[in-house]
Amino acid sequence: MIAPKRLSRSLQSVTQCTNHERQNFLQSTRRTLSSTIHVNASVESASTTSSQPPPPPASPVRLEDASSLNPENVFTRREERKLVRTQKINPVSSRRRRAALQSTDSVPFEQLPYQCFQEARKILIADRAEKIKQIEAQRERIARLKENGNMNETAKKQKLDSMNRHLAELKIWADINDPIVKKTFEDGKGDLNKPIYRFLADRKWRSYARKLLVQRITQMNVIPDILPHISDFPTASVDLSFARHDVQPGAFVLSEISEKYCKLNVQVYDKGERMVTIVVVNPDVPNVEKDGFDYRCHFLAANVPVNPTSGSIPFSFLRSLDSEGGQDGQVETPQIILPYLPSYAQKGAPYQRMTVFVLQQPEGVTLDVADIATRAKRESFILRSFIDRHRLTPIGVNMWRTKWDESTAGVMERAGIEGSDVEFKRKKIEPLPYKKLDGERYR
Amino acid sequence: MPTPKAPSLATLTHLSNALSAFRLTTPTPTTSTLTTIRHASHQAQGRANGAKDGAGKRLGAKKTGGEYVIPGNILFKQRGTHWFPGDNCFMGRDHTIHAGLPGYVRYYRDPLRHPKRKYIGIVFEKEQVLPQPPHAARRRMLGMLAYQAPTPPTPEPTSPSSIPSSKARDANSVTLPPTKRNPTGLHLELSQGYQYRQTNFEIGLSGDRKEEHALLRGKTTRAFADYKKGDRFAAWRKRALRVARGRERGVMGRGGKKGGKKATN
Repeated sequence: MIAPKRLSRSLQSVTQCTNHERQNFLQSTRRTLSSTIHVNASVESASTTSSQPPPPPASPVRLEDASSLNPENVFTRREERKLVRTQKINPVSSRRRRAALQSTDSVPFEQLPYQCFQEARKILIADRAEKIKQIEAQRERIARLKENGNMNETAKKQKLDSMNRHLAELKIWADINDPIVKKTFEDGKGDLNKPIYRFLADRKWRSYARKLLVQRITQMNVIPDILPHISDFPTASVDLSFARHDVQPGAFVLSEISEKYCKLNVQVYDKGERMVTIVVVNPDVPNVEKDGFDYRCHFLAANVPVNPTSGSIPFSFLRSLDSEGGQDGQVETPQIILPYLPSYAQKGAPYQRMTVFVLQQPEGVTLDVADIATRAKRESFILRSFIDRHRLTPIGVNMWRTKWDESTAGVMERAGIEGSDVEFKRKKIEPLPYKKLDGERYR
Repeated sequence: MPTPKAPSLATLTHLSNALSAFRLTTPTPTTSTLTTIRHASHQAQGRANGAKDGAGKRLGAKKTGGEYVIPGNILFKQRGTHWFPGDNCFMGRDHTIHAGLPGYVRYYRDPLRHPKRKYIGIVFEKEQVLPQPPHAARRRMLGMLAYQAPTPPTPEPTSPSSIPSSKARDANSVTLPPTKRNPTGLHLELSQGYQYRQTNFEIGLSGDRKEEHALLRGKTTRAFADYKKGDRFAAWRKRALRVARGRERGVMGRGGKKGGKKATN
């Protein structure tokens, strides 16, 4: 008979679970999706008494030092309030997430011990390595084609274009399946200088915001009243705001809000820096003599640099014609051709659409602002002719609407515009002569 | 014992009739003496309760193509949309198409707008044609005249020592001077329902502002400003105060998931 194997540890130590020495009252098995190790902060027990007990005996309570509170780790309401009160910063993310971070083992996402997940990762890594090889090969092919002198120029250019397009595609395919890339983008930390993040940002914009914008533009007839229909327009997203009021496309904006601090945030989704021209056109200026509507230009600026990482354009920061020279003695090109005129609509007139167009200038072209300013006029401004004359490409658009409100008169007076006491009324139309027919019809 | 005789038919019928009052169902006759005859009926006879053909509703076109119309004129009466409203026309609740602007009527198709629909529209001049060219700016009519609005009367200047007139109450906001209760003064905005009230933003900041004001004068509004770590009695008093306040809020219907007790009928 085999003697029973003597236990190396005592029975008591075996029954005591050594993994859960620290009693966490939050028993969560969720993992963190992070690639950095989080230090488990100390946990305070919450008081859940509902009745009023007599004052308890003195017991040592471990209180957190205010400066040691970490906005990424606090999860009790008491600590959160203390953090806000003492350090004047808000906790990061949601309380549930912060609490979960304390009680989970921090495993980097790539090392999560799930077999299916790791096998899938292997496949994706292999695919990415393959795509990288294809990218290298394509780059070599492009270099060789560029050096090739025996080919017809137009055919060579065409082939180079298609090869470059395929190269861009390959770059996207290499990174599109990477979950860390997806997470970084969704956290808003993607570097838009990289093609994959530009692709993801463009896809996100096109999935909803662009559709909404195109709906507004077409339903309110901005296309075709101002510009004809252009395929794949817009290609850049333009966010409009006045001071701290963000404007949805087509929304009504009070005159006093749209009077100052107009700001655009232009997001382009293709590589490289380019110069753009910004135009604000009002196609609904009432004209009683011709019983129709005129176009008025409320703002015109050119030579504004825009690239995928910087597109914030406050109108007040653009250089006007009579601005002083730049820093370090540089002569900086002026940008504003027609300064901003606030939007206004007289009482009784129908609402007026204020449209903002962002037009890309040709490669390397800087418009002569002083020269254009001598000819440009606000009234009867036809955007189609302007675009044709300077060979611009419309890339972005946005719009708001304006109608008469209590602040319009004040806005017009401050801007020096006449006619704040003008009121529009519908023309009285004489009824058509009605010939009463003979009695037989009215039996 | 005499042998029991079978009851006679007369007795049985008499018994059956007497018991008929207690019977639930009538006995079915074994034979039926009636035979029914039904003749075939066909469609020419019509239906007894069918819909009769009503009076004509005078549907159809009321203005021909090229006719001059004014806004509101009925152009076409229809059931459903045989024709759709096109440029400068609108459709009423019973799908009647009306003119929206003065002009000449045009009946047309616009395949770019919809491949199958027929439209009725208005043009402003006799030579114009519908549909309009697809990428051109639309033809539009203002239909309004400009008038000079009468200038509003200038407000009479009030002397600084006079009692504030009723016009001060028409202001959008009122600032009350500082009192003991509100040492920083009260700023009331005219809000919904014509009431003057502090904005919620101000209400939220009021506690902090009072504390700042008190601190400037070397005091504090906090109830337990001199709380020392380890003072369990003070901690108990603080907690008791908070619990009592929470209970009060619960009773008033604020705080907690379900709110306070509902008022009994």
